Amino acid sequence: MAVSDKDIIVCEGVKKWFGDFQALKGVTTTVKEGEVVVIIGPSGSGKSTFIRCINRLEQHQEGVIVVDGVEMTNDVRNIEKIRSEVGMVFQQFNLFPHLTVLDNITLAPLWVRKRTKTDAQERGMQLLNRVGIPEQAEKYPGQLSGGQQQRVAIARALAMEPRIMLFDEPTSALDPEMIKEVLDAMKELARSGMTMIVVTHEMGFAREVADRVLFFDYGTIVEEGTPEHFFTNPQHDRTKLFLSQIL
Amino acid sequence: MLKWVAQLAFLAFLIAVVVIVGRVVASNLSNRGINFGWQWLSDPPGFSIREGIDTTPDSGARALLVGIVNMLRVTVAGIIFATIIGTVIGIARLSNNWIVNKIGTAYIETIRNIPLLVQIFFWQALMLSLKTFGEEDVGSYFTHSSVKGIALPGIFPSDGFWQWMVFVVIGLVAARYVFRWRSRLMEETGNESYALTSAIGTVLVFAALGWFLHPLFGWMSAIWGALEGLARGIPAPLYSWAIALAIVAGAAWWIRGFFEARKTPAGYGKFTDDDIFRVAFAALSGLVIAGFVIWLSSRVVQVPSGGSLEGDVTIAELIRLGAGNFWNFFENKFHGSAGSPFAFELPSIELRGAGFAQYGSESIVITVPFFAVFVGVTVYTAAFIAEVVRAGILAVPRGQTEAASAIGLKRSQYLRLIILPQAFRIILPPMGNQYLNLAKNTSLGTAVAYAEVVAVGFTLSNQTGQSLPIVLTWMVFYLTVSLSISAVVNYYNRKLALVER
Repeated sequence: MAVSDKDIIVCEGVKKWFGDFQALKGVTTTVKEGEVVVIIGPSGSGKSTFIRCINRLEQHQEGVIVVDGVEMTNDVRNIEKIRSEVGMVFQQFNLFPHLTVLDNITLAPLWVRKRTKTDAQERGMQLLNRVGIPEQAEKYPGQLSGGQQQRVAIARALAMEPRIMLFDEPTSALDPEMIKEVLDAMKELARSGMTMIVVTHEMGFAREVADRVLFFDYGTIVEEGTPEHFFTNPQHDRTKLFLSQIL
Repeated sequence: MLKWVAQLAFLAFLIAVVVIVGRVVASNLSNRGINFGWQWLSDPPGFSIREGIDTTPDSGARALLVGIVNMLRVTVAGIIFATIIGTVIGIARLSNNWIVNKIGTAYIETIRNIPLLVQIFFWQALMLSLKTFGEEDVGSYFTHSSVKGIALPGIFPSDGFWQWMVFVVIGLVAARYVFRWRSRLMEETGNESYALTSAIGTVLVFAALGWFLHPLFGWMSAIWGALEGLARGIPAPLYSWAIALAIVAGAAWWIRGFFEARKTPAGYGKFTDDDIFRVAFAALSGLVIAGFVIWLSSRVVQVPSGGSLEGDVTIAELIRLGAGNFWNFFENKFHGSAGSPFAFELPSIELRGAGFAQYGSESIVITVPFFAVFVGVTVYTAAFIAEVVRAGILAVPRGQTEAASAIGLKRSQYLRLIILPQAFRIILPPMGNQYLNLAKNTSLGTAVAYAEVVAVGFTLSNQTGQSLPIVLTWMVFYLTVSLSISAVVNYYNRKLALVER
């Protein structure tokens, strides 16, 4: 899928502190529409914090984040606008355990987008078909396997018809045999032209799907490039060390 | 087989222990010349009660009933207000606003670290520091507070109340349909259809119509009269058989449900000894209780003269009398020329006897003992409920809030749709415990002479010397109340349980 020339996310010198600890030390990068960006790096390097700043689950203290032309400020209207355009999938799925799978998916369309119930349910079933589990619609999250739950979480995020999807280590909490089904759903999404930022340790996925890979360490982007550049010819010593440890 | 023998042997052992202890106690009592018995239930109690549904009860049982109603009054009011106050304080403690947060903390830390009895004395002392009144204060007031209590304007159901209630019930049924219709409309069109507002509006319209039209239902008096005749015409033993049959049917229904629950598509699984024991126990106890009901209802009791039944009467006949009186109550309430549904009374101070000023009998008076117990247990329990509510909200994982805000729900929306339903599930069992504590703590009312069941029983036991049967009655009563509260809480707990597999 072609990547357009239009910048959809622009980050300029983003800094973030948790008390005395500085998690982000000035991150500057741009994501184009339709681009798939994979972020890798050791734990504690700030990669999750960075994507959580993009939909304001964390608040950055310095720098500028502009999502689809809307600058992230304390203005509640801006935050709501951005959140309804940015979908997010979490490591721990975070499905709503007291609602059925279909209700999980239709909740936001009903309450935020003010769709009709029939409309929302129809669209919800389409999404469940897309992630391959339409037969689970009436079950509760607790009755599903981890892989199925994560696919429901993807469908739930897609139900808002976001232009950008953020994935925060979506396969880290899964059993090995379930990782593939979730990665397949993500690959399908990438091929459909969705702008995606994925924090992951799945190097195979990065190599196959990513347009660009960012390597984070100590709150900064140490190195970035195409997967090919990254996996065959890394420049930075820290990157080489990291890759040698995990590959 | 061995298991069965062991189970039955254990059961027999338990029964034997109870019987032996009972006999030992009985013989000790009779050696000391104390006559263990229940005669005090029907004897006149020989004292009057300060407040309640009947201030001059004619039997011990009636006196206890007054105490029971007083206890339930303070319990129900306490549970409602403690829940509201506790929830508000609990949420306040989660607030980011420093002052609100600290007020919540101060409330909880003060209240729960002072014994409840001391607090009840405090509220009593507070009331007793109010002014007194005398002959010169006779008159009508909107509200009036004094050492005798707080008098409030009262609304009483009046002549036309029950006929008006027919309109309200019809309105409620209609509102149900209106609500469904409007909800369906919203699902189909996606537009706000004000389902709840329309439903409430429907009830109000019917209530307003009923205000003027309620004498229309005077003819229902004839129906209630016919039912009364029917109830009085049925032979008395039939009532006891019907109750016994209902108990057996209940046991059978439970057993059916038990088998139903064990049914899988592959047929019934293997039943353990425990399962068989449960079924056998249910069947046996159903039959035993049914038999006991039939035996009990054929027993003859002495009824004081003055009513429609006199002298030696079987309990079955008393049940029949109750059923007849039930329909008779409605028959009397429905007559064509009914007046307004409600009466409104302002509190008044009037003279009773020479120079003895008192609140008028029609005034609604919150007495000092009631106030002390009610405010005491409410404020005290609210502090614990606040902690329960706070813990429940905090126990919902943070990820739920994040996921809800990530899909664009506003704070008010995700609190209502995501956090509160899950918090409620966590809160419910400990909340039930607090309700139980509140119900049991009302017995401290004895200390401020609130005429609840313990205080009345205590006076009865002083008058008759029958302390053991009275203590047993207390225990059975508190057990019944506590188990009822538990049953309600458990029912909702099961209903709200998460489906996990």
